[in-house]
Amino acid sequence: MGAWLDEPLSWGNALVLFLWAAVFLLIVLGFVTYAIYYERKVIGWMQLRVGPNRVGPLGLLQTVADIFKLLIKEDTIPRKADRLLFILAPALAFIPSFAVLAVIPYSEKLYFADLNVGLLYYAALSGITTLAIVLGGWASNNKYALLGGMRSAAQMISYEVPLVISIVGVILLSGSLNLKDIVTAQDGGWFWHWNLFPQIIGFVVFFIAAVSELNRTPFDLPEAESELIAGYHVEYSGFRFAFFMLAEYVYVYAIAALTTVLFLGGWHAPAPFLDFVPGIIWFLLKFAFVVFSLFWIRATFPRVRIDQLMSLGWKVLLPVAIANVFLTALWLELFVK
Amino acid sequence: MFNVDITGELVAFFAFAAIIIGGSVLMISLEKVVHMVISMAAAFLGLAGMYVLLDAEFVAFVQVLIYAGAVSILMIFGIMMTKHGGGDGQPARPLYEALVAVGALCLFGLFFYAIRTTEFPDAAPSAAVAEDNTMAIGELLFSGYIVPFELLSVLLTVAFIGAIALAKKGAD
Repeated sequence: MGAWLDEPLSWGNALVLFLWAAVFLLIVLGFVTYAIYYERKVIGWMQLRVGPNRVGPLGLLQTVADIFKLLIKEDTIPRKADRLLFILAPALAFIPSFAVLAVIPYSEKLYFADLNVGLLYYAALSGITTLAIVLGGWASNNKYALLGGMRSAAQMISYEVPLVISIVGVILLSGSLNLKDIVTAQDGGWFWHWNLFPQIIGFVVFFIAAVSELNRTPFDLPEAESELIAGYHVEYSGFRFAFFMLAEYVYVYAIAALTTVLFLGGWHAPAPFLDFVPGIIWFLLKFAFVVFSLFWIRATFPRVRIDQLMSLGWKVLLPVAIANVFLTALWLELFVK
Repeated sequence: MFNVDITGELVAFFAFAAIIIGGSVLMISLEKVVHMVISMAAAFLGLAGMYVLLDAEFVAFVQVLIYAGAVSILMIFGIMMTKHGGGDGQPARPLYEALVAVGALCLFGLFFYAIRTTEFPDAAPSAAVAEDNTMAIGELLFSGYIVPFELLSVLLTVAFIGAIALAKKGAD
C-alpha cells in the first residue's frame, strides 16, 4: 500500500487509490453493521437477554434489515428548520469520521497515508464532527435538539483537551507525531514495551476521554433519551439519521484503532515467540478487544449527570493528564538521557 | 497568457483559493449569523489546504484544530441562542456602495500591479525543513525563540485569568 503513495499521480494511479478508498469504505461499513449487531448481542448477554435472533441465522441480518428500514423511511425536513444546514450537517459529521481513518497504520506494509503529523490530523479533523453536531442541533429548530447540540459542544470541547494532552506522553516517548513511527517505537519484543505500561496514567485518561468523545454511555448526555428524547438528531429521520449513527460508529472504529496504535503496540506481538503470527492478526485482536471494552462499559455503567461530567473533565482528567506530561518529561530527562 | 505549467498543485491552489474567497465573500454577504460562521469555517479550511500545499503540514492541521474546529464551535456556541430569523436588511445606499466598489477595485489593481512588478528572490527552500517541519518548529521555539514563546504563554495566561475575572463579576 505504501508503495502506491510515492508514485507520481497519473490517472491510472488516481483510479487505483480511489478504488482502495472505496474498498476501505465497504470494509468500514461492514464493520459498522456487525459492530451494531455484536453490541446488541453482548449487551443482551450481559443483561441475561438473548439479543437479536430473528432475522437471518442467529439474527445476523438484523442490522441489515434495520439499515434497509432507515433507507426506505420518509425523509422529513421540518418546515421551520434551516433547510441548508439541516441537509449539510449529517454529511459534515460523517466526512471527517471517515477521513481520520486514513492515518491509521494496520501493519508495517498496510497503511493508507504515512503522514508526518498523523496524530494532529486525527485530533484536528475529529473536531469538525462536533461542529456538525452543533449545527444539526441548531438547524432542527427544536429545543431538545438545541439542548443536545449545546451539551455536545460543551462536552466534546471539555474532553478534547485531556484527550490530546494525555497523548503528549506517548509523543514524548516516541519523539514523533507519525502514527507509524509511534508503533515502531514500541517494538521491543515483549508486551511491556508497549506504551500501555509506561504510560498507564495517560492511557486511563485517554480511554475515559475517548469514551466521552464518542458520546457513549456513561457519557452519552447529548442524546440522553430520558431527558432529551434523543438529543441533537431528534428531528432527523431516514437516511440523514443513519448518517449521524454511521459517523458515531465509524468513530468507534477510529478510537479503537487509535488506542491500539498508541498504547497497545499496534501490530507487534506480545511476546517474541509469538512473532510467527502476522502483525495484522495482532492488530485485529487488540482492536476487537478495545471495541469489546467499549460495549462492556456501555452495558455496565449508569449515565453521569451533566455537572459531574464537566467537573470530571476539567478538575480531574485535565490535571492528571498535565501531571502525566510532567512525569514523563522528568523520567525521560533523568533516566533516559 | 499562461506563463506557468498546469500542474496538480496549481489546480489545487485555485480550488483552495476559490474556497477561501467564496467563504470570505459569503461570510460578509450572508444574513444569518450561523451561516456566516460556517462560511468562515470553510475559508479556514481552505487556508489549511494552502498550508498543506506549502509543505507546512503542522501549521495546516493546527489551523484546522484551532480555527475551523475550536473557534468556529465557540462562536456557534455563543450565537446558538439567538433568534432564527435573519436580520432586517439595511436600506440600499447606491452611491455609498458604488464608491466602495470603486475603492475595492482600485485596491485590487494596486495589489495586482505591485505583485506583478515585484522581483521575487529565488527562494531555495531547504529540503530538511520541508521533511520534518514539526521537529524544526519545536527546535526553533525552544532554542532561538524561547523568550517570545514564554512571553506569549504569560500573555495567554493573563488573558485567561482576565476572562475568568470578567465572567465572575457578571455572575455575582
